[in-house]
Amino acid sequence: MREVLEGSHAVSEAVRLAKVQVMSAYPITPQTHIVEALSEFCEDGTMDARFICVESEHSAMAAVVGASTCGVRTFTATSSHGLALMHEMLHWASAARLPIVMAEVNRALGPGWNIWMDQTDSLAQRDTGWIQLYCENGQDVLDTTLQAFRLAEMVNLPVMVVLDAFFLSHTYEDIDVPDQKAVDRFLPPLSPRIQLSTQNPCAIGQMSPPAFYTENRHSIQAAMEQVQGRFENIQEEFEPVFGRKYAPLEAIECEDADVIMVMAGTAASTCREVISDLRSQGEKVGLLKLKMFRPFPTMLIRKILGDTQKVAVVDRNFSFGVSGIFAQEIKAALCNHDNHPPVFGYIAGLGGRDVTPDILKQVYHMTKTASFPKEDGVWIDLNN
Amino acid sequence: MIAKQKFFEEVPLSISRSKISTEVNKTGSWRFMRPVYDEKTAPCSVGCPAGEDIARIEMLASRKMFREAYETILKENPFPAVCGRVCFHPCENFCNRAAFDQPVAIPHIERFVGDTAIAAEYLVPRTPRVGSFANRKRVAVAGAGPAGLAAAYFLTRLGYVCDVFESENEPGGVLRWGIPAYRLPEDVLKNEINRIVSLGVTIYCKQPVNQDFLEQAKGRYDAVFMGCGYGRSLEMKIPGEAMAHDGLKFLHDTRKGQAACFHGTSAVIGGGNTAIDVARTLIRMGSKPILVYRRRRQDMPAFEHEVEMALKEGVRLKELAAPMRMKANMGDIVLMLQKMKPVESDTGGRAQVVPDGENTMSIKVEQVFTAIGAEPGRNWYVPPKKQDNILNLSHCAFLEDDLPMVFGGDLTNPIKSVTDAIASGKQAAMVLDTFFQRGRDAIEERLAACRVGNGDALSMEIYTEGERKNRNSHVVSFEEINTDYFSRADREIPPLLSPDESAASFSEIEGTFAEDSLEKESQRCFNCGICNDCDNCRLFCGEVAVSSDGGERRVNMDYCKGCGICVVECPRNAMTLEEEKI
Amino acid sequence: MQEIRFHGRGGQGTVVASVVLAKAFFKAGYHVQTFPVFGVERRGAPVEAYLRLDADKKILIRSNVYTPDHVVVQDIKLLQNVDVTKGLKPGGWILLNAPGIPEHPERFSEYRLAVVDAGKIAIGHKLGTRTQPIINTAMIGAFARIMEMPPMEAIAEAIEKEIPVKPRQNILAAKQAYEEVQMIENQG
Repeated sequence: MREVLEGSHAVSEAVRLAKVQVMSAYPITPQTHIVEALSEFCEDGTMDARFICVESEHSAMAAVVGASTCGVRTFTATSSHGLALMHEMLHWASAARLPIVMAEVNRALGPGWNIWMDQTDSLAQRDTGWIQLYCENGQDVLDTTLQAFRLAEMVNLPVMVVLDAFFLSHTYEDIDVPDQKAVDRFLPPLSPRIQLSTQNPCAIGQMSPPAFYTENRHSIQAAMEQVQGRFENIQEEFEPVFGRKYAPLEAIECEDADVIMVMAGTAASTCREVISDLRSQGEKVGLLKLKMFRPFPTMLIRKILGDTQKVAVVDRNFSFGVSGIFAQEIKAALCNHDNHPPVFGYIAGLGGRDVTPDILKQVYHMTKTASFPKEDGVWIDLNN
Repeated sequence: MIAKQKFFEEVPLSISRSKISTEVNKTGSWRFMRPVYDEKTAPCSVGCPAGEDIARIEMLASRKMFREAYETILKENPFPAVCGRVCFHPCENFCNRAAFDQPVAIPHIERFVGDTAIAAEYLVPRTPRVGSFANRKRVAVAGAGPAGLAAAYFLTRLGYVCDVFESENEPGGVLRWGIPAYRLPEDVLKNEINRIVSLGVTIYCKQPVNQDFLEQAKGRYDAVFMGCGYGRSLEMKIPGEAMAHDGLKFLHDTRKGQAACFHGTSAVIGGGNTAIDVARTLIRMGSKPILVYRRRRQDMPAFEHEVEMALKEGVRLKELAAPMRMKANMGDIVLMLQKMKPVESDTGGRAQVVPDGENTMSIKVEQVFTAIGAEPGRNWYVPPKKQDNILNLSHCAFLEDDLPMVFGGDLTNPIKSVTDAIASGKQAAMVLDTFFQRGRDAIEERLAACRVGNGDALSMEIYTEGERKNRNSHVVSFEEINTDYFSRADREIPPLLSPDESAASFSEIEGTFAEDSLEKESQRCFNCGICNDCDNCRLFCGEVAVSSDGGERRVNMDYCKGCGICVVECPRNAMTLEEEKI
Repeated sequence: MQEIRFHGRGGQGTVVASVVLAKAFFKAGYHVQTFPVFGVERRGAPVEAYLRLDADKKILIRSNVYTPDHVVVQDIKLLQNVDVTKGLKPGGWILLNAPGIPEHPERFSEYRLAVVDAGKIAIGHKLGTRTQPIINTAMIGAFARIMEMPPMEAIAEAIEKEIPVKPRQNILAAKQAYEEVQMIENQG
């Protein structure tokens, strides 16, 4: 049924429909509305689930790691400093191969204190072994959360569903909330491959000596390598039921584009409008929307961007001392491609700063008129 | 749709998971320290003259295991209901709980257990030695007071045949005749004496021990225990003393129901427990007693608690006043008193007093009672001095002779209390048993091995079961208690008559704990050094190496890695971490 | 696409007003998008919320509203320290909660002014207190009148769903404001 729903509640509804059994979370703006709704679902019996209250995000992740190890479907949500505090347990979840799903609301890290949109928090966790999926609107959030459970449980890796603070988490829009029967057709109950059992006791997460550790890491990578294919496969299951489908990377007007703009999150939605404006003015511009950041779809990136003239990456994040993180990754993906295009990096929209259509148009024109990037990252909209 | 997955290869899944149970990893090989269940001595036990295993008694009481608590007391003391009432409880001065909030009300718990045993008619448990001692030697016991009865009790449990000879018409000694009924009701005493008789002890009343008896005893008995007590009051040696009543005799006659009733003002001379008992008895008869004491209140040998109760009931106190003479005056007695003053004493202890110049005064009373102390009734009741064959011990003296004799009770005890008398009887039993089995030279060493902790009290449990089975000599200090496991709680107070009510009759002043008070109070005990099955050792063990099978705890050394967490988390120091032996 | 900007104070239900309107417009067949300008404001502080409506197309743009078609001002005293006309397209509506026409209406000559005494209406329906009347539903009713959308049934339905306290009185307040709002089109 279509209804006007807040982005946060799109997550909550998806978690309800996924029949998650154990949740644990610690509240932090702007994640709060997600878990408030879920705790109410547990309280009023809408969900047959346990909500474990904890004293920190580290404990929240530890709690769902424990629950997941026991073979139940689990969920948590956090943001910014909460995610940073979870860092250690993120490694635990992935290396223990637990299919945990987490909603992560992109928010800036302090100090100075800032509760608004910024991608640096989730991107700083790129090496933890979590699958990362970025969303651009409320429908995307709901659908991606549902798919995240399917994906996580297929490959036994945890999935982070990433959504923009406020521009997505606190924005109401019309969203199709599927009914339970449809979701049940798509998402079977969890049949865990890892499950602690009193019948067959064992130790999990024990010492992994040099003779085993390398193989263990390689096994995680081998699973990661299957994620893109599995994700595409999931769309074949999803589309017949729900009438929508998603791609790890979405290329919009890219075939004949001289400049392809690359970004993730709500900025990509705004950019769709900008592309269509610019196209109507005769500009040969395309948009590559990054949905899947981990695993990074390198081959697909080369295919879409390899033969264009210029690439302009908009990063709402920054790695101090280098550049925007998406730009780094795009460059790394392209560098072994013959005659790859120059990659222009732009830093915009940090800490809740708006990424407006005018800014995106400015990025396009700066890229179009420059022959080669003079610096790794150009800071847009910088007040002096 | 799920079937589509089959087109994919299986997703690799390799995690650090043990292939088999963790039981294969015998972490015991990591161990260089070893936890052992090692029960220790609670400080209260050291303070108890009878060396009772108080921490265990409280633990059993807190779990409502009253029969077991009673049997634990009976290992060291046949008189729980009596001592629960009349003991001056030095144990409480040693209680570790005092450093936390207030000491545990140990005598009240003992009294509850003793009264429960009487009400439920618990029997004395059989011990292995009873009746099994092949050569059934016979011991004559002179005096059926607490020392004599205790000696007979312990000797009988060790397999001896005991006959007790008592000059009075009923047994009990000071318990029967010296302690007023408001502190120790007669039926409580009778019940506990009957228990001793039930073991096979024969008590012959109106049979005073004299020299002829001892001559005849040589053939019939193998040893004699002398526990005749201090039956003769000391004299003041002042003019007119003949007009005074003997306090001890007054108490005795009162308990026999033969005392005259005294009215008007009475002077009671003395500062010991007997003087207090006389004064409080007089109050109950309707007299107005004045205690006359030559030193100050804080110097009185009477127990402070008793003095306080006496004053609350209306006894007046005249300190620093020494009787000079007594004179009859129109049916009254005028008592002349020398005022005294304290002088600094270098030796410590009680203050010395000297006459305060010519300062005198006189009081007019209707009768005077003396209670300035007592001595043995006969000179030969006490052990001969400076004789080579005398062995002087902490609570008795052993005389090796044709008829070996042990002198005990007040005759030898430095502290003349009921519980010290019981300790004396117990020591005498150990002395004679060791003498008969191993000879005189073994006595001192054997007794030293039975000491409770580092004190003078001796444990019959250690004597008979050996090897300090349940309590090694380490005395648990407050610092060794893991107080994280305890919360503050007020000490329970037993039901108590008001001073007005108590002064009006010979009814018992203090009541026995109600069961909920008993439960709360016994739970306050730290149970220093003994296991109360709290299970912390098992719960905290990271290797699940501790098992508890029918209450018996065991550490599986295949898996114990010697981390010591069980020892640290034991709230009461009932475990010890030892170096692994090579 | 139309963009509406709400000005209010923390505690006045400004965000709720924008959500109720969004739901009502959605009922009427529009694509909608609404979100608050989120800060760390507390009761009394000036706040803003945005509402985008599109009868035909899905709304793609997700940045803040800078050039609104209309503005709703929930408290006339905001005029002292907030430029409510910033970016407002000429000819756009300014819906003002005020007891009467404000002084110097000529300053709004580029726009169309509508005034409703939402405070009086709210108090009349016992919504909130005399010092803190709950005026957002009255403002919604007035807005529906000047836009001629959405229909009152859709508003009533959205109020039922979104406002659990006194929904009936809130609907009546919306209806009364719908009737009473004064539209002053060419005040120049």
